[in-house]
Amino acid sequence: MKKYEILDHKADLKIRVFGKTKKELFFNALLAMVENLEPEYSSSENPKKMKARKINLKSESLETLLVEFLSEVLYLSQVNKEIYLKARFDKFTDNEIEAQIFGKKVKRFNKDIKAVTYHNLNIFFRENGQWEATILFDI
Amino acid sequence: MNEIRKENFIKINDYLWEIPKSFRFDMRVPARIYASEEILNQCLYDESIFQLINGTTLPGIVNYGIAMPDCHEGYSVPIGFVGAIKTSEGVISPGACGFDINCGMRLLKSEYTEEEIKPYLEKLATEIQNQVPSGLGRGRKTKLSFKEIDRVLQEGTHILRKRGFGEDKDVENCEASGKLDWADALTVSQYAKNRGRDQLGTLGSGNHFLEIQKVAEIFDEKTAEVFGLFKNQIVIMIHTGSRGLGHQVCSDYLKIMIPLIKKYGIEVPDREFACVPFNSPAGQRYFSAMASAANYAWANRYMIAHYIRESWKKVLGRKENLELLYDVAHNIIKKERYEINGKETEVIVHRKGATRAFPPGLMEIPKKYREVGQPVLIPGSMGTASYVLVGTKKGESSFYSTCHGAGRTMSRHAAIRKISGQEVIKNLESKGIVIKCWSLKGIAEEAPMSYKNIDNVVDVVDKAGLSKKVVKLLPLAVIKGE
Repeated sequence: MKKYEILDHKADLKIRVFGKTKKELFFNALLAMVENLEPEYSSSENPKKMKARKINLKSESLETLLVEFLSEVLYLSQVNKEIYLKARFDKFTDNEIEAQIFGKKVKRFNKDIKAVTYHNLNIFFRENGQWEATILFDI
Repeated sequence: MNEIRKENFIKINDYLWEIPKSFRFDMRVPARIYASEEILNQCLYDESIFQLINGTTLPGIVNYGIAMPDCHEGYSVPIGFVGAIKTSEGVISPGACGFDINCGMRLLKSEYTEEEIKPYLEKLATEIQNQVPSGLGRGRKTKLSFKEIDRVLQEGTHILRKRGFGEDKDVENCEASGKLDWADALTVSQYAKNRGRDQLGTLGSGNHFLEIQKVAEIFDEKTAEVFGLFKNQIVIMIHTGSRGLGHQVCSDYLKIMIPLIKKYGIEVPDREFACVPFNSPAGQRYFSAMASAANYAWANRYMIAHYIRESWKKVLGRKENLELLYDVAHNIIKKERYEINGKETEVIVHRKGATRAFPPGLMEIPKKYREVGQPVLIPGSMGTASYVLVGTKKGESSFYSTCHGAGRTMSRHAAIRKISGQEVIKNLESKGIVIKCWSLKGIAEEAPMSYKNIDNVVDVVDKAGLSKKVVKLLPLAVIKGE
């Protein structure tokens, strides 16, 4: 199953994300975002060394929760110069997340994502049994 | 969603088109676009006009929602939008300023001509690239304390001058002197401040750049003389904004405002349009936080100018006079006064991808330019021309605003599919332009073919009278950060 695909947009980064569950959708959205930061790893760092970061969020809807989750990951990525490729959700509802994400140190990003937008964001369940969301990132 | 066709526009004149208020039930004012027929046709291919119409639904908007000829689709209103909203009964909308608060332009003038600088060009470009990081890898070596960040947010360029950086003219010749006095560091989150700690004096990526340019053509001798510009003069253009700090401020306040939309009974076309009454606690806090981020952006461009001067000193062996012509924002919200329906009215002008262009005589313009009007700095796409224009009285019809650049016509992915970074570099080098960049892919995304022709865009604002051409600049070296 495809985790995500990049759609055409004139100025920004538009990504359609898929997941068998809402949790998987959130994680694939995270992957889509961090992979598009195009990280370059430092050769001096131990590639197996992962640092855990905590995320606790409450929001009014599943859509706003997704944007705020990704915004939090983006913030952590940029201030810690880390890329998160693993996540553990300790609590996951339509309005609340308690998670730990695990990150590797990077030397640099080759791309910048300025922010995660709420633009036209809808999360829905397809007849094929998949969750789907289209997210626009300001780059 | 109504489909928008050319027939829906009323042609006001060759450079101005209007969609009447009756087009959609929720429009509060008509939508206007400054464009030639060719540019208008280009705009119909994306969502920009639809997003412009969405912009006319903002409560309190007066006269028109306006799009500039360089407009293109974004999120909430299009990039290239101007909307003036009554402070007494209207809203403030972070999405209509954008994430990159006070993204803007700064132009430094040298005393050199092209012939004199040519032998040093390659070295200068390399040195500037080393001195001004993109900030995507290492940030700056010194990480400011939270206390220092607070002072930058509060005092903008003034604190840097006090600390011995730059010169007096760097403050005098900057929009608002590089300090909005309603800034309040307390309205900016720790997250935003933390992102700003090692990014003061960094360029960012995307379309942000530094260019060494020459004055190639003069259209208005008198104004060029007042601006201190002469034929073949070397100038340096800086394009960047408030970096992660500004992006975080916008994200923070969208998060705060989304739940408040319902509380204030506001209907918006999309969450990205989240807004609250200007005179509400959240509205006032955002306005101060935006001002703080704007101060950070001016300080950022101020420090970049400082590092450029250091590079010149190193390469040319002596201190060179690189004087600031002007520094102006193109993503900002400001309180201004206009005559609306015969009555002087206070509005907050939301400019997202639009440059303020004040006419002669206004006190907000540095004294030395007051007689001719405010300098307006318009960058072209990479490797193409840029322009210096001047504000005019006629610009009042667009709330003294004009375009901000060329405006994209092709997506980044389409650009990468069409042309490689190497080809773009080869094209630039064949024109004798030095290029310093880190990412070849980033260069391909910014290929001139993915933008409108800057000459056509500037012709529209010149002929529509929103601002007049003073000089045309051509690039000699393009620097995209380490």
